[in-house]
Amino acid sequence: MLNLLRIEWLKIKNYTAFKVLSIFFVIGVVLTNYIVYEVNKNIVGNSPGGLMLSSFNPYNFDNTWQSTSYATGFLLILPAMLIIILITNEYTFRTNRQNIIDGWSRNEFITVKLLLALIFAVVSTMIVFLTAFSFGLLSGTSLAWNGFSHVGFFFLKSLSYNVFAVLVSVLVKKTGFAIGVYFIYLGAENILSQILDFWSIKLKADHTADLGSLGDYLPMNASDGLLTFPDNPLKSFTKGVLPTDYTYIVLSFAIAYLLLFVWWSRAKYLKVDL
Amino acid sequence: MAILTVDNLKKDYGVIKALKGVSFSVPTGCVFGILGPNGSGKTTLLGIIMNVLKATSGTYKLFDEAATDAHRKKIGTLLETPNFYHYLSAVQNLKITAAIKGLGEEDIDNVLQTVDLLQRKHSPFSSYSLGMKQRLAIGAALLGNPDVLVFDEPTNGLDPVGIAEIRSLIKTLSSKGKTIIMASHLLDEVEKVCTHVAILKKGDLLAFGSVKEVFEQNDIVQVEATDRNALKSLLMQLNNYNSLEEINGIIEIGYNAGQANLTAINKFCFDNGIVLSHLQLKKSNFESKFLELTN
Repeated sequence: MLNLLRIEWLKIKNYTAFKVLSIFFVIGVVLTNYIVYEVNKNIVGNSPGGLMLSSFNPYNFDNTWQSTSYATGFLLILPAMLIIILITNEYTFRTNRQNIIDGWSRNEFITVKLLLALIFAVVSTMIVFLTAFSFGLLSGTSLAWNGFSHVGFFFLKSLSYNVFAVLVSVLVKKTGFAIGVYFIYLGAENILSQILDFWSIKLKADHTADLGSLGDYLPMNASDGLLTFPDNPLKSFTKGVLPTDYTYIVLSFAIAYLLLFVWWSRAKYLKVDL
Repeated sequence: MAILTVDNLKKDYGVIKALKGVSFSVPTGCVFGILGPNGSGKTTLLGIIMNVLKATSGTYKLFDEAATDAHRKKIGTLLETPNFYHYLSAVQNLKITAAIKGLGEEDIDNVLQTVDLLQRKHSPFSSYSLGMKQRLAIGAALLGNPDVLVFDEPTNGLDPVGIAEIRSLIKTLSSKGKTIIMASHLLDEVEKVCTHVAILKKGDLLAFGSVKEVFEQNDIVQVEATDRNALKSLLMQLNNYNSLEEINGIIEIGYNAGQANLTAINKFCFDNGIVLSHLQLKKSNFESKFLELTN
């Protein structure tokens, strides 16, 4: 396993796109959270209700875990894009064939790509952890771990984005086309989820059924839906009163989709002509 | 021992049948040519053996065992195109090949020397010419000094000097006891370097064996005289020929290789009152044999 990763490292360590996207991601995380931090501070400082809100800062401990995870979630397309580029490159260069010809099994090839998706998710989560921790301290509050589960949700979302990128790459093979399909899918799922959410609110209003927000059961939205911005005490907006075990249901869906992506990528790679 | 045994291998791409049940075996130490025109199934066959394509049916063995990943690590292979990471240099690419094969990096400079790329070893692969890319692929196949080499169209994209170098490299490797399996559409190439040959056409195996057996050169004697009919009935009294036929107004007598005796034929005819106006020995050459096999 370590040997597979060592070889993968030989492939990517001198790749410019890898360095550039990694740096973009790290800068992006810090910058995004800093902007949210500053904007929020100004709103709280200048709004008439500022006094009432003064107790609410999204980057105080405990909120910082949730806020940072939520805000950083939007940048997860960067590692996903990197994964698409790295895998579709192998198809373009036909090195996916050469690796097998030279003696890797097909399983080793696809496993190391999935491992890469896992490692990118772990590293992204570590960056989120450090950012959340730093902003928490910056807010002048003392360390607390409530809401830390959101960092776990972030990890799940990151892993879903990355593994979905592996799947799209293996299915589509061409770099530009795969990136296009990835974004179009995310967009399409978002539109569909809005429609489903709207419908589920209607069902609830009619007292027909209360299913939470149905859009959250879609493959990529399941892990998205677990991450929300901390509730502002003045804002009464929530997605409706949800069933108590809603989080667990969505979490189970997210994990199930993740396993499906893993299974599908492997099954595809193991049986096709390369 | 057989290095490779292929048993009734079939491969369909939808309605197109790329391989229609091919069986043969490659003995140890030979230079085995897989010869056939473009689209005859050579690369498909090698792709299946290298596990990048899935056979529709049939089996194959490497080193007399069911093929495994470990077997491929012991074979140096160039299949179809040179496949490398474009943004990496020759050395960086070969480090990856070596690592996959479970080899150290000490052999890299040697093989780059062999294929004459040592000077350019730190240039990115994307800056290489077609011939340099091909030579790097051959270099990669040589890593770890494997006992078996598989070359698919090894002289593709090379200039005449490069072609001569690769052919002499193959001969050198063969003289060191290596087994080489080489696919080619160039008859000339197979004739010059191979000891054994399998001829493929549109997925069918037409012939397989030692080059000598497959391309056995029969003798053909052409004769002519003013009275062709009298000549023909006279020639029928000759013995030990294989065939006697009239082709384009010339009578051709077929013999096994080395069996034709022009003096005897001439004397026989003259003694029986027929003076020949034309007498010539024609060998069926490699190329006509190949055309005969593939047409």
